[in-house]
Amino acid sequence: MNRSRRTLLAVAATAALVPLLAAAQVPAGYPANYADVIATAKKEGKVVVYSTTDTASANALIKDFQALYPGISVEYNDMNSTEVYNRFISERAANAGSADVLWSSAMDLQIKLANDGGALEYASPEISTIPAWAVWKNQAFGSTYEPIAIVYNKRLLTGDEIPQSHADLTRVLTTKLDKLKGKVTTYDIEKSGVGFMLITQDSKQNPKFWDLAKALGAAGPRFQSSAGTMMERISSGENVLGFNIFASYAALRAKKDPSIGIVLPKDYCLVMSRVMFISKTAKNPNAAKLWLDYVLSKRGQAQIAASDLGSIRADVEGEMTAAGISKTLGDRAKPIPVSTDLLGYLDQTKRLEFIKQWTAAIKGGK
Amino acid sequence: MTRTSPARIGVIGLTALAVFLPLGLIVYQSLLNAPFFMPHAPGVGAFAFIFADSDFWDAFQNSLVIAASMSLIAVPLGGILAFLMVRTDLPGRRWIEPVLLIPVFVSPMVLAFGYVVSAGPVGFYSVWAKQLVGGVPWNVYSLTGIAIIAGLTHVPHVYLYSSAALKSLGSDVEEAARMTGSSPFRVARDVSLPMVAPSLLFSGVLVFFLGFEIFGLPLVLGDPEGHLVLATYLYKLTNKLGTPSYHLMAAVAVCIVAVTFPLVILQRYLLKNAGKYVTVKGKAGRQRPLPLGNWRWIAAALLGLWLFLTVIVPISGIALRAFVSNWGEGVTLADVWTLDHFREVFAQPTLLRGILNTVLIGVIGGALAVACYTAIGLATHRKNDGWSRFVDYLVLVPRAIPGLLAGLAFLWVFLFFPPLAPLRTTIASIWIAYTVVWLAYGMRLVSSSLLQVGPELEEAARTAGAPRGRVSRDVTLPLIRYGLLASWLLVFMIFEREYSTGVYLLGPGTEVIGSLLVSLWGSGGADMVAALSLINVVLVAVGLAVALRFGVNLHD
Repeated sequence: MNRSRRTLLAVAATAALVPLLAAAQVPAGYPANYADVIATAKKEGKVVVYSTTDTASANALIKDFQALYPGISVEYNDMNSTEVYNRFISERAANAGSADVLWSSAMDLQIKLANDGGALEYASPEISTIPAWAVWKNQAFGSTYEPIAIVYNKRLLTGDEIPQSHADLTRVLTTKLDKLKGKVTTYDIEKSGVGFMLITQDSKQNPKFWDLAKALGAAGPRFQSSAGTMMERISSGENVLGFNIFASYAALRAKKDPSIGIVLPKDYCLVMSRVMFISKTAKNPNAAKLWLDYVLSKRGQAQIAASDLGSIRADVEGEMTAAGISKTLGDRAKPIPVSTDLLGYLDQTKRLEFIKQWTAAIKGGK
Repeated sequence: MTRTSPARIGVIGLTALAVFLPLGLIVYQSLLNAPFFMPHAPGVGAFAFIFADSDFWDAFQNSLVIAASMSLIAVPLGGILAFLMVRTDLPGRRWIEPVLLIPVFVSPMVLAFGYVVSAGPVGFYSVWAKQLVGGVPWNVYSLTGIAIIAGLTHVPHVYLYSSAALKSLGSDVEEAARMTGSSPFRVARDVSLPMVAPSLLFSGVLVFFLGFEIFGLPLVLGDPEGHLVLATYLYKLTNKLGTPSYHLMAAVAVCIVAVTFPLVILQRYLLKNAGKYVTVKGKAGRQRPLPLGNWRWIAAALLGLWLFLTVIVPISGIALRAFVSNWGEGVTLADVWTLDHFREVFAQPTLLRGILNTVLIGVIGGALAVACYTAIGLATHRKNDGWSRFVDYLVLVPRAIPGLLAGLAFLWVFLFFPPLAPLRTTIASIWIAYTVVWLAYGMRLVSSSLLQVGPELEEAARTAGAPRGRVSRDVTLPLIRYGLLASWLLVFMIFEREYSTGVYLLGPGTEVIGSLLVSLWGSGGADMVAALSLINVVLVAVGLAVALRFGVNLHD
């Protein structure tokens, strides 16, 4: 009580400065009433984020946000994508405290939550700066630009053993079988939701997808449940080639690990985007708005690019950002749109049908 | 018969609530067609789904094969080991004993990861083997590989029970056999081991049971070739349908319980009989170690080989991985040596909190758990009525539920049972789950201490007019304080090791090393997994060292 009164006095003493300070904080180009959002957000004091981006990668982003808006702390919780989904639906059902912002690489699950009425509608002032495919109904926003890569072991694969495209992958799998047998890895689509999403996107983009599946089956694939375990195996040489791995993860590891090589497929390159939305039942909606806007802003995206997550904005330079990729791949980069199209395979029958078809193709190749 | 006191009813009631609330939720959930907190309808669709899924039957079959081969491997080896350690003049028995128990207290996740790094297709030892013999003669990812590793790591369980039984028997019969010219092997086979047959049978059932629930080893080792067991099948169902299918997971859990609960009851029956057998036959007389003669080298080699395969291979693998940035065929270890993983662990608040929480849950949580177990123990101590028999069976129930799903059920309890809701995001939630999951283990520790108190001491106090509470406080508890201290240490180590129960409870504030390992393994932070594993092993080792320092009898 006492303390708040003293703060009040201090504020009153500098009353002349206050409007200036607040105005200075409203980012350029934002509506004037954004000052109110900032003021209310400061009263909320924190924003709770559930995220699949690991803390180490998000650290720079969080620190910069807190520097921009002192007094608002970020309660950042990293967990896997299933966990983000599970926690949110069960906490909402129990009316228990939950996240203000959900940020996940499981694009389909995020859209499902938003589509089921979990997201707050918010016309972020940054909407115009990100591509249209990354915005769903002013509710869910793609926040990163992450090409999906082929990853290989540099010590063990050279020259024409390194596939350059999806079609080339089928060729390498067929012609270099003696070297690759039992050493090719990708997601186990039954254990990984992201792996499932990527392979179904492949099945739409790649006209010879089922040939690839068959060739993969013949190579005796090693299915893993996460990109990290795949990369660990590729690095050690237990496996030598992997596909459908986030280039962002691979690039991060390649920095420290000279064994990791990365290829962005030349025929088409899937690009995924971590989807962010504000919970409709957020306890700190204003702080959540600040966080969302910040992440999409040029300043936030520069941090994202620096952390190797891939900026989605055209005005942030970098090799693995939207700007960089469009230079190298042009329209062969195929972003997965943030849209309800992603919900199709969450239908149980359709999903199991695809899994069955995939398993059969893998077995058929053997 | 005195009136049942309110305190006693309170303790028993709370225990029953803690056991039946999560179990009830699991059974209820298995009979719905969607998560119970979403729109749902009752039905047996979940069972129909898993029974129609060929993966379920594969997993079921693999679980049976693994459990059976574990018993087949662990029982003979454990029996022989017990004979060697208890009965013979094997050199270095004193220091070998604590090493023998390492696999019991090290998390299977850690062991499994260690095997990948050291004995996987390009592991450290595999590369050496390749240089020596031109190929890797083993495959730790095969079903056989997993079963052998699981069998070897469960040898200590058999050892614990059969050595305890052997110690309570006099060695005169064996000496007689040895004097008439039998080889030590023959003595073990024809005299010693048959005498402890009930204990061997009991531990065989125990190992089979543990094998049926095994999770960490197949989670890590079963992935590359796609071998599923029931617990990993259950885990896989989290994602198979895209959105979590709690009803299917609960149905699998009910199936597991349907197999494990009868096994638990069978164990209880066997343990009772084993005790009877020993008291009838055993005359704990003078025990003289049997001279092994030339056999000692064979025995030492056998023991050494087992130790090498079960302790040294995985632990050295994990230790090496914790200090290198990458590894594999063609990598010179000197070039990749690093301390970065530990720096990273200590720079991440989540992981740091996890380490701190793990210590707290072991030290303080362990003590509180022993206090609870003691309260339950005292509530049934020297009272042979219906309540006591009820508690006897009650404490066995949580053992039958796989830790993974027990943790999930507790998450539901914390979410939807308002009085407990504030605890959800605190380490107390993990503590409650651990305490209930390890109820049977803890109760055995505490009640074996209680049984050592002579009834006449308590009766004397009663005769002098002390009420029950006073007898417990001033007579029974002081007498068992060393037993309780030992229980605390053993519970500490078990809590440090536990990994599956916390998986679904993992969140900000409830991080413990065990569940962080599962989560990091899933998200692929192999560097962090190795560093955290090593820290976990060190914590357990400290516990073990303290236990030995205080002369705690690890043979309960």
